[in-house]
Amino acid sequence: MKVFEPSIRWILVLMVMALFSSCSHLPVINHVDPAAAPDTKERCLRPFLDVPYRFIHSLEVSFPGGRTGTLLGVTVVYPAEKTIHSVIMTIEGFLLFDARYDKEVRVNRAVPPFNAEQFAGHMMEDVRLMFLAPEGKLVDAGVYTDGSSVCRYYGNKDTIVDVSIHKDESWEIKAYSSSHDLLRKIRAFDVQTGIPGMVELSGFGFREYSLRLNLISAEAVSPEANHMRPAKTPEDDE
Amino acid sequence: MESMMAEGRAKKYAFIIGILCSCAVMLGWANTWEDIQRESAKIQSVSAQFSQQKHMQILTKPLVSKGRFYFQAPDSVRWEYSSPIKSVLIMQKGSIKRYTQGSRGLVEDASGSLETMQIVLQEIGRWTRGQFTENEHFSATLKGGKSPRIILTPKEKGLSAMISRIVITLSPDRPGVIKSVKILENEGNYTLFEFTDVQINGKISEKLFREVG
Repeated sequence: MKVFEPSIRWILVLMVMALFSSCSHLPVINHVDPAAAPDTKERCLRPFLDVPYRFIHSLEVSFPGGRTGTLLGVTVVYPAEKTIHSVIMTIEGFLLFDARYDKEVRVNRAVPPFNAEQFAGHMMEDVRLMFLAPEGKLVDAGVYTDGSSVCRYYGNKDTIVDVSIHKDESWEIKAYSSSHDLLRKIRAFDVQTGIPGMVELSGFGFREYSLRLNLISAEAVSPEANHMRPAKTPEDDE
Repeated sequence: MESMMAEGRAKKYAFIIGILCSCAVMLGWANTWEDIQRESAKIQSVSAQFSQQKHMQILTKPLVSKGRFYFQAPDSVRWEYSSPIKSVLIMQKGSIKRYTQGSRGLVEDASGSLETMQIVLQEIGRWTRGQFTENEHFSATLKGGKSPRIILTPKEKGLSAMISRIVITLSPDRPGVIKSVKILENEGNYTLFEFTDVQINGKISEKLFREVG
């Protein structure tokens, strides 16, 4: 009986195959008429805020095994200064997480598991991805094969961000690693006057999670509110 | 594990609010703890509308939630939100469940721990008997006068990190009924529960403590 003995050449072939199979591919962007390119770039900015806004959402968190839990989230975003204030609480009003991003993350309150290392940072990245235009360089624009307008940005942290706007004005934002692995996917639905009624956020890779944000209220806020001092503890007629 | 602990902690807080409010509504108008204990002994059931106002620095106006709660002695509670999210907490015979309206309808929320349930049941036992002064979690101060109030201050460091104090304001003109419960946190954050349509010792269907819908 002839025994198969792997040669150096075979091992090299297998290594090359493994290398190719481990590389993911970014979705193909088809280029549009150059005259239409500015419109595409304009459309790609629609998901992002240009004035300060306060959002209140119900947050439906999916746990492993199909269980779900619902929380309330308040987010205030100041796009000009790129600052974010975010609060998560229970339906009964118990404050679980309160943090602010202004060049760096400052956590005011974090009850476990919201005090986990890097939770605040990752959460702020998700909020930025959702509401603020990508900071990186716009490297490509066109349409996906399904006809959606798409812009591709190369971010500052070796991430690639695709922003695609569907024909029904709903949108998707996808963040990829430098090796083109999908890291985050944000899908916005029921968009009315530029504000989505529902947003789905999915995280992939080492820590997979999914979150559904249902809009309770959205209101423009004054830019000056960003510099307001915290209120004092109220008198309770003691 | 950490997630379960957090869920437990959150549910503990939720139930403390729920049970506190339900038991607080049962409190009789009084100037002494003995009066409160005497009035508490007369209460068999309570139902009321509630409005929950969450005041936070991040909000310019409070976030208002509304709902209804029911209590049936000795230990059945239904704490139900109708807006902005439909949610129902039900406790009966030591079993506690929470249901929340989501993408799959009104489904059971992620479960809490047995430890939480035990603590809550202990609290119910104490508060329904008007035993505020013997509470291991809070120290209580009674302030009489035109608008009687009970002020609860956490004894444990862990709890005081979440709640600085709780102020229960009794109705001045209707013994057994409270006007509001204010739960103070920090940095100006507080939750105010206000009660209306309070019915004492009315008949409450047992189904309300068994069925969600």
